[in-house]
Amino acid sequence: MSIFLDISLLHLTLLMMAPLIIACLGETIIERSGILNVGIEGIVTLGAVIGFLLTYYTGSPVVGCIFAALSGSLLTLLLAYFSISLRANQIVIGLGIFVLGLGVAPTIYRLAIGVVESIPQVPTLTAIKIPVLSVIPFIGEIFFKQNGLVYLSYFLVAAVSFVLFKTPMGLRLRACGENPRAADTVGIDVARMRYGACAAGGLFLGIAGAYLPLVISGSFTDNIVNGRGWLALMLVIFGRWVPLWSFIGALLFAYVDALQFKVSVIPQFAKIMPPQFLLMLPYIFAMIVLIQVAKGAEGPRALARPYNRETRD
Amino acid sequence: MKKTKWTRRFIFAVTILVALCLAVPGAPGRAVAAKAHKFAMILPGPIEDADYNFRGYQVSQDIKKRFSIETSYSERISPADAERVAREYIASGYTIVGFHGGQYIRIVKKLAPKFPEINFIMESSGRGKVPKNVWNVHRKFFEAFYPFGVLAGLATKTNKVGVIAGIQLPDFKSSINSISDALKVTNPKAELVYSFTGNQNDPAKARQTAEAMIANGVDFIINMVNLGVYGVVEAAKKAKHKVLLTTFYTDKTDKAPKNFAGTLYIDFRPPFATAVGGILKGSRTGWVPMRPGNGFELKSLGNVSAEAIAKTKEAFEKVRTGSIKPRLEMKKVRLAK
Repeated sequence: MSIFLDISLLHLTLLMMAPLIIACLGETIIERSGILNVGIEGIVTLGAVIGFLLTYYTGSPVVGCIFAALSGSLLTLLLAYFSISLRANQIVIGLGIFVLGLGVAPTIYRLAIGVVESIPQVPTLTAIKIPVLSVIPFIGEIFFKQNGLVYLSYFLVAAVSFVLFKTPMGLRLRACGENPRAADTVGIDVARMRYGACAAGGLFLGIAGAYLPLVISGSFTDNIVNGRGWLALMLVIFGRWVPLWSFIGALLFAYVDALQFKVSVIPQFAKIMPPQFLLMLPYIFAMIVLIQVAKGAEGPRALARPYNRETRD
Repeated sequence: MKKTKWTRRFIFAVTILVALCLAVPGAPGRAVAAKAHKFAMILPGPIEDADYNFRGYQVSQDIKKRFSIETSYSERISPADAERVAREYIASGYTIVGFHGGQYIRIVKKLAPKFPEINFIMESSGRGKVPKNVWNVHRKFFEAFYPFGVLAGLATKTNKVGVIAGIQLPDFKSSINSISDALKVTNPKAELVYSFTGNQNDPAKARQTAEAMIANGVDFIINMVNLGVYGVVEAAKKAKHKVLLTTFYTDKTDKAPKNFAGTLYIDFRPPFATAVGGILKGSRTGWVPMRPGNGFELKSLGNVSAEAIAKTKEAFEKVRTGSIKPRLEMKKVRLAK
């Protein structure tokens, strides 16, 4: 039992959960407006390289995060332009954005850094102890001795939930994703709302990308995102487009992911479980949970459908 | 008058002879052979990785400089694309095609009989039978990693040593076995744990593994991941107890000067230069063992006692000279008992 509730394991779970949930929240905002963004992996990768390079050159992770967010937003706006203004197929454009991001990110890195024998590194973000809360036994160690971006992820879950479900703006945004014609009828500018959602959601995706070099490795590597963008996309469905549920999903996935590494280094377990099985564990878990959760899950009704106010549905 | 006539004939004859020598294919002399050849290198990843692919890129640069022949390289070539890229090089007049990585062996063995006039260079973990126009760079990682087992055994305070690898390559399995043997000889109380993260270049997975090991008391981690090493470095830096690390391919000591205990410096230039040199001299096939002393060197030993450094260097030297012959077990990890 102690293995499963080990403090270091749970601490690591939150550390690895943060980029997933930040990206997931960005995607939730975008999808709630009716735009399907399958280019998430490419956008997160661009955020990673921009976040790293700006931090490296300015010495400030805050500047790195801001520019990473802006780059994410910019690339998502490209998706928005094709999806909203040109009414192109969102899957096709999204895949194009995915490939573009994966190609542009290492190109930017090579142009900036070049071919060197020792790659540059930036200091990773250190843990910030929250006064009073961090001294609470067990919980304090796990939740309140984390880096600033983990705290930001807690805040964003609450903030996005509040904006989406408790404010008129959130209602208008959801209306654009559910029934854009009805929203249009009551005077909501659907295109503007969708552009806004893409710009805002893209900020989150950029930050999620910057998280990886600024917290995990201190460096940018070609394969740094390694499918985490796609996982975030899955978590949106897992959470049924509700931030709190996505947060729980991200926690569960990060926990199982961290657990497999924990188990793999315990000789007693390693002897009976082949490493291939352990590596599969988080994905098997995700599939089983998704099969259960996806039953009856419905996304925004107008998701991935271009809206044209001059045509009849 | 007569004398002049014979002098002219002699000069004419010598000129013809020299011209013939220069024209005959495969005529002796490096300059002649060198002009005829073009070298291409196929790399699996980006050359700015400051690691494995950078080393492959260095080979391409070195061949150009050393033999004054035209060289080229292609990056991020998956095994599925390698055959097409190699065929494009051959069609463009390249006569020597080098493949950087064991994942290309099947492609080399497939292409070599189809292009008998082309020379291929491949990297492998064994001295198997190769086609008549293939040079085999045999990477003996298991020999090179043995001294790290000695170093870990002497440096660990908790008697827990970890190895983090990515993919279950035969090279890594045999190296873990070799480390385990060295550890058993140097420090029988020490326990070895190992983990395959499933990816050589994912720092997040490597960091998770390293943190799990550190939480279990491991204080010496031998890295067999490429770019994943940066995740391990961060885990070591943030650990509550002192954690020592080793790395390979390039020296990364500056990333964590207080944590790195040594680097297995791997340089593909010497073995590839031997192969290309052999080809230019007319040898179509050959075997180059890449081992301690030829492509593998120990560098930046530090953060451990002088005795540990001395014994590690001694072990390296003994492996190099053959006084220590590490066990070769590539199929499965079988830790020493």
